[in-house]
Amino acid sequence: MSTLAVHAEGVWKIFNEGAANEVTALSDVSIDVGKGEFVSLIGPSGCGKSTLLRVIADLIPSTRGTVAVAGMTPHEAREKHQYGMAFQQAALLDWRTVRRNVELPLELAGWDKEKRKARALELLEMVQLQDFAEHRPWELSGGMQQRVAIARSLATDPEILLMDEPFGALDEMTRERMQNELLRISKATGTSVVFVTHSIPEAVYLSNRVVVMSPRPGRITHVVSVDLRDRNEDTRESDAFFESVTAVREALRGRVAPVGEGGARLAETS
Amino acid sequence: MKGRLNAVWPPVLLGAIFLIAWQALVVVQDIKPYLLPAPSLIFTTFTSNLSLMLATGLYTATTAVLGLVLGTLVGILFAMVAQRFFVFRNLMIPVAAGIAAVPIVALTPILNNMFDITSRTPRVLITAIVVFFPIFVNVYRGLTEVPAVQLELLRSLSATPRTVLRVLRIPNALPFFFTGLKVAAPLAVIAALVAEYFGGPQEGLGSKIASSAANTAYGRAWAYVVVAIILGLAFYLITLLLERVTTPWAGRTRSA
Repeated sequence: MSTLAVHAEGVWKIFNEGAANEVTALSDVSIDVGKGEFVSLIGPSGCGKSTLLRVIADLIPSTRGTVAVAGMTPHEAREKHQYGMAFQQAALLDWRTVRRNVELPLELAGWDKEKRKARALELLEMVQLQDFAEHRPWELSGGMQQRVAIARSLATDPEILLMDEPFGALDEMTRERMQNELLRISKATGTSVVFVTHSIPEAVYLSNRVVVMSPRPGRITHVVSVDLRDRNEDTRESDAFFESVTAVREALRGRVAPVGEGGARLAETS
Repeated sequence: MKGRLNAVWPPVLLGAIFLIAWQALVVVQDIKPYLLPAPSLIFTTFTSNLSLMLATGLYTATTAVLGLVLGTLVGILFAMVAQRFFVFRNLMIPVAAGIAAVPIVALTPILNNMFDITSRTPRVLITAIVVFFPIFVNVYRGLTEVPAVQLELLRSLSATPRTVLRVLRIPNALPFFFTGLKVAAPLAVIAALVAEYFGGPQEGLGSKIASSAANTAYGRAWAYVVVAIILGLAFYLITLLLERVTTPWAGRTRSA
């Protein structure tokens, strides 16, 4: 158990349970994410992928089921800054400089000023924004803002990165560059990533496994293992890449038989 | 700099044309000063009584500043309590609306009786009541209208409500506060001036305008009106300056 970054078993999320407007957002979802593994959640709107991410992050409670994050309850994991989170919007604070935005998680974790500053500069160097440390967020482009948000999510050196369509608002060119950067960073830091996306090529390019979800009720229908060796610009044009893209697309269309009970267990895919 | 000059000259030109037309109208039509004094008369009265004008303006300005500070502090306090405690929220918004509906003209004589009429107190209180509402409404909005994603971010970082207030809600509310203050500051001058019409110390612009008019010193009455206008503008401009200095991010495209 302790070797898993995320372990979810039989998770249900039912909004307004018992009321007339009851919605089942997650139905018996099980998923394991190994240490250092990159897992994408993909599916149409309303399939519960963001809900699942929020349950893992303890932003909302699950209705039933067990969730463990870095071997702890999601609540403990949140309190102990075990995960970093990035959203579709960069969500930077306009009144803080870029550096002070990156420092925010450290500030809340009680780091002292000098250590905070050093760590933030180190992170900004990693996302290649060291020259913009004292700039204000609004002076940066969308892609740069998102890089600041990623630097911020890595500030406390968390074991797990939870990302909710972080590149969804970026143009295609920037998006591909950001994907390369994220791969480089997650590899360098050994961080496990749970990545929510709408984009099939993005999911395939980034992930070790792509978890395909379907709506009404939100559940896991397929898990596609992706085996691409060194991922670089050539990978995007390789046959193996297209094969995986096709496999995910077929799964999304429901053309292949869904996985049985148990969902996206690590054992079944390795 | 050139752009700024381009923004300045149209209103200045318009003002000059207006004053010349006014002067011409008074001279050509031979309008009596009790109907409409000429700008030249107002100007000479203003310059020849400069120290009196200054002292009178300063008295009203002091009342306005005291009322502005008091009303602002109470407005911020109420907004923070309303944001933090759900129970108070539904209670305070109607109360605030009620305070906004208070007719200050009617309330002034009552407050003059309740408090020492010979003091400045009732005037400051009137001003504070007028100031309260725009500050309360705007600060409350600024504290509550926080982007949902930023709240989620802070929750993911295990921030306590107090931390959320400090790192997110208060900075978020600052531009809103200045929006309120830009309304409240000139309003404070008007309220302080109007409050002087209802008895009490014969100091301040309101008292002097009333007594000058009663003594057929129309030029002087109008000169005091000019002081009141300058005062209102000064309050507005000081607020604008404070806003520029403290919230440089306001009005920028939000990165959220």
